[in-house]
Amino acid sequence: MRNLLNFLARYINLILFILFEGIALYLVINSNSYHNSHVINGIRGITRVAEEKITNIKNYLRLHEINVNLAKENIALRNSIEQMIKKEDQLFFSVSDTIHRQQYIYTAGEVVNNSINKQKNFFTLDKGRKQGVNTDMAVVSPDGIAGMIIGSSDNFSIGMSLINIDFRVSCRMKSNKYFGSLAWDGRDYRYAILNEIPQHVPVHVGDTVETTNFSAIFPEGIMVGIVNDFEKSGGDFYKIKVALATDFKKLNFVNIIGNLKKTEQQDLEKTYQ
Amino acid sequence: MINSILRYTIIFIVLILLQVLLFNNIQFSGYVNPYVYVMLILLLPVEISSWVLLFVSFFTGLTVDFFSGTLGMHAGATVAAGFVRPYILRFISPRDGYEAGAKPSMMIYGFRWFMLYTILIVVIHHFILFYLEVFRFADFFRTFLRVILSSLFSVTFILLAEYFRKGR
Repeated sequence: MRNLLNFLARYINLILFILFEGIALYLVINSNSYHNSHVINGIRGITRVAEEKITNIKNYLRLHEINVNLAKENIALRNSIEQMIKKEDQLFFSVSDTIHRQQYIYTAGEVVNNSINKQKNFFTLDKGRKQGVNTDMAVVSPDGIAGMIIGSSDNFSIGMSLINIDFRVSCRMKSNKYFGSLAWDGRDYRYAILNEIPQHVPVHVGDTVETTNFSAIFPEGIMVGIVNDFEKSGGDFYKIKVALATDFKKLNFVNIIGNLKKTEQQDLEKTYQ
Repeated sequence: MINSILRYTIIFIVLILLQVLLFNNIQFSGYVNPYVYVMLILLLPVEISSWVLLFVSFFTGLTVDFFSGTLGMHAGATVAAGFVRPYILRFISPRDGYEAGAKPSMMIYGFRWFMLYTILIVVIHHFILFYLEVFRFADFFRTFLRVILSSLFSVTFILLAEYFRKGR
């Protein structure tokens, strides 16, 4: 017994150190896993009131800019209505009147908390389960894609930002429809890297990169960014640096997009894989 | 005793507020994220028991974690900093040792001593923090560059803060 006490007294530091590091590591690993974000969710609740106040003030100061953006978006929507009336069957995301054929459902949301200076960035939206926001919905800003929802509480939801080193999204070149996988490399919040485009495909600086609907999360054809630079990397593929269309530093009003037929698609794919 | 607990509580609150409200929002090209709250670990008395130091470290790190939504990262890094502090203090101890009840301060032990002390602990803290953040060894050298650049800023801030804290 005395030996044990001596031992404990002698190594108490080491034991505590290992214990604390163990707890810390456990927490890190737990909150690292994609869909286990309820911990973060709960914790965000503590600081949320302050964050909302700060966001309100910031938004007030930017009202003019927001108005200009809304006006622009209105014009774009009017144009697309015009197009829809004229060539209805060519529109790729088929939002028609009957719920029977509707594939995507849109909700507007506001970003109440956002980060861009970490390697794993997340944002908080002011819509949650009560407003129909659920895990795996797409988040899109007026300029382009922004991220996806990874967890939601009653009135809030957490989104994984595109500028998170764990984020992957399937994208394609608008001009020739070759697809690859887009991810952030953790460097500059304005650029992401598009891989897996084969080298025989013509790529030009200024080409548009848009989403595919392979993941059943993002609708097809949503703007991602513009080719800024590209180089040949090993294995016959290009490594394309894409200037992101969304400015994450002023991410504010977003659309949350749910895929009504996601389960159907995924269930079918699961059956055959 | 009560007095010094109160003092360290105030330092704790000020540092956490600075970190959460100011430094967490700083972004230079994605390479520089200063973490200055580690200054609390630096300032605790030399003779503090190691286990108290470890508890304080864990609690401090966890508080920062709560506010930045990064569970465990800061706690892990700060506990490591608290763990190595006694060894570093012994390693760089002045020729005639530390006086009873001494606090590590720039005024008593000089600028060079304090700078060395700060650099050693801040670099260890940042090193563990940034690798816990990315949680992979891909891009090893880029993360290393982030450690070095961010440490540079944190150390500069801590030295300035210590200078003005004692310069009153």
